[in-house]
Amino acid sequence: MKQIITINVNGDEFEVAVKANATLLDLLRDELKLTGTKKGCELGDCGACTVIMDGKAVNACLVLAVEAAGSKVETIEGLATGTELHPIQRAYVEKGAIQCGYCTPGMIMRTKSILDKYPIPTKEEIKEELSGNLCRCTGYTKIIEAVETARDYLNGKKPPELEFMPQKSTIDLSVVGKRLPKIDAPDKATGRAVYTDDISLPNMIYGKLLLSAVPHAKIVSIDTSKAKALAGVKVVLTGADVPDVRWGTSPPRYDETILAKGKVRFVGDVVAAVAAIDEETCYRALALIKVAYEELPAVFDPIEAMKDGAPRLFDDKYENNINTHVDHHFGDIEKGFAEADHIREERFTGNRTYQNPMEPHCSIAEWDRHGRVTLHTSTQVVHYVHHQLSHILGIPLGDIRVIMTNCGGGFGAKAATTTIEVMSIFLARIAGCAVKMRFSREEMYLFGRGRHKQYIDLKIGVKKDGTITAVKQKAVLEGGAYSSFGIVSTYYAGSMITTLYKFPNYKYDGFRVNTNLPPCGAFRGHGCPHPRFAFESLLTMIADDLGMDSIDIRLKNAMTPEYNTCNDLEIHSCEFKACIEDVRNKSGWNQKKGKLPIGRGIGIGCGGFVSGAGYPIYRSKFPHSSATIKVLEDGSRAVLFIGDADIGQGSDTVLAMAACEAMGISYDRISVVSADSDLTPIGFGAYSSRVTLMGGNACKMAGEDVKKQILKQAAEIMNLDAGLLEVKDNKIFLKTGPSTFIPWEQAGFAHFSKKGPLLGKGHYSPPEGLGGNYKGAAIGTSPAYSFSATVCEVEVDMETGKVKVLNFWDAHDCGTAVNPMLVEGQAEGAVLMGMSEALFENEVFDNRGKMINADLHNYLIATSADMPEIHSTIVDSYEPAGPYGAKEVGEGATLPILGAIANAVADAIGVRIFDLPITPQRVLEAINGIKKKRD
Amino acid sequence: MYLPDFNFHQPVSIQDAILLLGQKPNAVAMAGGTDLLVEMKKGVRMHENVISLVKIRELKLITEDEENLIIGACTTHSEIIASALVGKIAPSLVEATSKIGSDQVRNTGTIGGNICTAASCCDTAPVLLSLNASVEIAGSENVRTVPLNDFFTFNKKTILTTGELVTKIIVPKPGPGTGACYEKFGLREAGSISVVSVAAMVRVADGACADACIVIGAVAPTPKISRQATEMLRGIKVSEFVENQFFQEELGAAAVRDSIPIDDIRGGAQYRRDVLKVLVQRAIRRAIELAGRHSPPSLVGEGGQGG
Repeated sequence: MKQIITINVNGDEFEVAVKANATLLDLLRDELKLTGTKKGCELGDCGACTVIMDGKAVNACLVLAVEAAGSKVETIEGLATGTELHPIQRAYVEKGAIQCGYCTPGMIMRTKSILDKYPIPTKEEIKEELSGNLCRCTGYTKIIEAVETARDYLNGKKPPELEFMPQKSTIDLSVVGKRLPKIDAPDKATGRAVYTDDISLPNMIYGKLLLSAVPHAKIVSIDTSKAKALAGVKVVLTGADVPDVRWGTSPPRYDETILAKGKVRFVGDVVAAVAAIDEETCYRALALIKVAYEELPAVFDPIEAMKDGAPRLFDDKYENNINTHVDHHFGDIEKGFAEADHIREERFTGNRTYQNPMEPHCSIAEWDRHGRVTLHTSTQVVHYVHHQLSHILGIPLGDIRVIMTNCGGGFGAKAATTTIEVMSIFLARIAGCAVKMRFSREEMYLFGRGRHKQYIDLKIGVKKDGTITAVKQKAVLEGGAYSSFGIVSTYYAGSMITTLYKFPNYKYDGFRVNTNLPPCGAFRGHGCPHPRFAFESLLTMIADDLGMDSIDIRLKNAMTPEYNTCNDLEIHSCEFKACIEDVRNKSGWNQKKGKLPIGRGIGIGCGGFVSGAGYPIYRSKFPHSSATIKVLEDGSRAVLFIGDADIGQGSDTVLAMAACEAMGISYDRISVVSADSDLTPIGFGAYSSRVTLMGGNACKMAGEDVKKQILKQAAEIMNLDAGLLEVKDNKIFLKTGPSTFIPWEQAGFAHFSKKGPLLGKGHYSPPEGLGGNYKGAAIGTSPAYSFSATVCEVEVDMETGKVKVLNFWDAHDCGTAVNPMLVEGQAEGAVLMGMSEALFENEVFDNRGKMINADLHNYLIATSADMPEIHSTIVDSYEPAGPYGAKEVGEGATLPILGAIANAVADAIGVRIFDLPITPQRVLEAINGIKKKRD
Repeated sequence: MYLPDFNFHQPVSIQDAILLLGQKPNAVAMAGGTDLLVEMKKGVRMHENVISLVKIRELKLITEDEENLIIGACTTHSEIIASALVGKIAPSLVEATSKIGSDQVRNTGTIGGNICTAASCCDTAPVLLSLNASVEIAGSENVRTVPLNDFFTFNKKTILTTGELVTKIIVPKPGPGTGACYEKFGLREAGSISVVSVAAMVRVADGACADACIVIGAVAPTPKISRQATEMLRGIKVSEFVENQFFQEELGAAAVRDSIPIDDIRGGAQYRRDVLKVLVQRAIRRAIELAGRHSPPSLVGEGGQGG
């Protein structure tokens, strides 16, 4: 029964009827339509729903609405005055503290409650006080800066000016290279930014999935009669009701069904779907579905799963559960090892980690009367979803519209089509109305697609002077039940090991093995972080064996520009050595290495990544990115239409900047429409760190197209030859006499008046024929490669094994940093995420394949209180293939971290940890192990 | 994820709450709800009737009498942290309380709720046990006061019977020369569950431990007093403890003998023993140092100058 309560929200009195089980979060979002307050975990672990109630910060998900009766609640919507941002919001926007924006409203409200209570908090206090608000994008660095800045604003002080040295490649540019606030930041700071779960369509109902409770079984029968009979239930579907289509991520391995067809393969496999008037009814209906299983033996360990006689997940394919096998040999491995003076081989194991974007997946499907479906969804890859839906539904792309709403982070978790994207469409078609489906945090973990845990045997041979002569790697990837990205992951695990150091002889054996666990996919650094962890660890061990400095061994072998690797990857721009030298200098390496007391350690790790995959996920001749620009009739503004997705990394901003630079207009004269398959031309989306280079090139080309037309128009007005004119900073001027000019908008206005719409278009595809001629040669190719180096300093409690990271000094060759503030944000986020993975994160399953830490209470990710000091540098670099010389940073910056931490810990405690995560228990066991040996 | 529906009751007196708890089927008392709502959302617990305690004014108090600090069961963690009275009488309780969850959780979660959830890793109970606290329990028949040491029966189990409610936490005022502290070991710097915790209380008189209590958390089904470590410490001269590394390790080992840890995702049993051994020593060292600050300096030498 509902109870009528009164509540004051942002100064307004509301009288609302609420059910006993409604939370304050439900009340705000569903009843009052104040969707600025976000739903992240629903269990009080993430802080995304933080509001201020009677002066105190609370998690709105853990306050009953009935208990909020009579209280005064402040939400993000109440902070700004008209269009004027609150000083806290202004600080967040200016300091680059907002990426995906999903944690932002909670973070800002928490900031307000801190600054209301303690007007002058120190940095350490801020880190501690903010620790109940999780952020997965920023690494907290810029958030802390924003809180300090807001503190200064509120105390009437001027925040300290930032020292900033522009890169050489940007000195003559007007927009590119500037530290500009993100184009979407004000909306995200005020709660106005709309995410999929914030959308409520007329007559919209909800859908939920029934997930398998057993790891491996035949489905004997499903009885949905009671669920169908429940009041409010509109549709119940099982495998028998949907087409027998196989789908997935990589076409050679389409092995997923829409709903389970006779068999389930992991706890979380999708058995049935329900649509009903609300989520509560869906859950009650799911509980009424009776599934009879005939259980089959299950296997959870990939090494066991590969053995003869192990339970098979697929009877008709993947012999010995080996889903993908890669056998690569470049150069002559025997000869290489024969030439080595020192050879060392070790085994390393990674961890099974999950991306945990703060925004849970959400999709809304609606069909119109013309048989066309629109999907609003939180995705990184509008085009791949579009393409996959066309395949599954058997209808052309033109009958489907996919719109990415604001995406609250992805990191790979949203880099392929999801079950709810597919099922919401099926349910909506039958129900005849819009259907919203969303994952709970637990359902996110069970849908999976996180990082493959890898078991790596790595062997490196070197000459006495440290020159690498041969590398041999075997990797076994624990794949979970289905293929997802796994085929690509397996290739990446091998191919990308060659881009940092030069060596002529390399052998790689990769096996991806199916197990009865949630499928693994692509997670920041896709397939590469564990092999890179192993490589960086072993290289340092070998340096120690040789009595060589571990930075020197890296410099000895470091990649240089214009080099073809042994597996035919073409390196062009490369300032790797500059990165290494930079971190050596600023970390005080020479003063610290070997001179720190026991329990304190320093270590280096390096990394790098592709700036966009050279080939698409399915065979396609489409440009990888494309853009159109429409100039407003009066020439006052341009609108950029781009298919690539801004998932928080800031691509809308970066692409707008590239387009502005090309058109000669300022950043305040552009708007962006992105990732809507009806409005924007194709872009493959945000994965493989591709958007800055590929999307950037498309936008630059579209901008240049506009520039050409506007110059022609200006030439007519000015009675001059177009070749004599240049355009910059909203002016079209005579190259030889800039005081002769007309305003940009005058030419724009004239163009529209005389010739109709002023439109520009651009597209980009990587050079043809990238890579070698062997099987799998495509994976690892890219127009350009990034390079990073990181020195890490740790303190280890020698009695408990607890590792505290004190500092990271990182340097990045990302070519031209189109927006250095955003590059730093990517680097800081990558560093902290890498640290979190290295120290805390691991999915744990019971002996029945059920994940036992599928929440943010038990699957720990780093908080602001764990944040070390991060000192990032962007080195001077220019990549000819990139727009204005730009390449990637978002994934490459993660790669050095695991190895850097492992090396620092080994330096601190005198013994090596080979397995991730580096938990206090593992560290203490290692320390005790040496003690025992000594005794 | 959703919260299954229930009947909601919001009594304004303890009597009414007890009546409802006794009468309503499958009823549960809810204070801050930070544990209960999570468990209900996860489906770990189902309740037909939820009796909210937040409107009962008598349950929200922090006061003292001659002998005791008295805290109402529905006092939030934040209120305890902010209380000068608690800070003066039981600073180790403030220390432990400030390590619970996040500010958001501490603003709604309560001390009574923390105790009644009765998790072995709960942060307030070790300190309260070390300070020899009691709980006042109101039932339909009578009101009884029970030493906290008798309150927990197993992980997530207490002596509370249907219709009973914890109303107060009663902490005896420590004598002069008392030092108490809380050592928590979690896997990250904030918002983590204790892998091991130790509360230590030491009362130093004439340079010796006149009284002591060592409590170990997250290493047994309930937070518990380590009898062996406590006994070893009582009567020991402070100087002997401070100088004798071997004795300190023995104290740690004694606490380990009183533990029965399990393996879980946060740590193995042996690891918990290893950490427990370290934490016990750290906690006692710190408690002794704190005791020095609360004693006339002449009795404890150098360490007693902190004021």
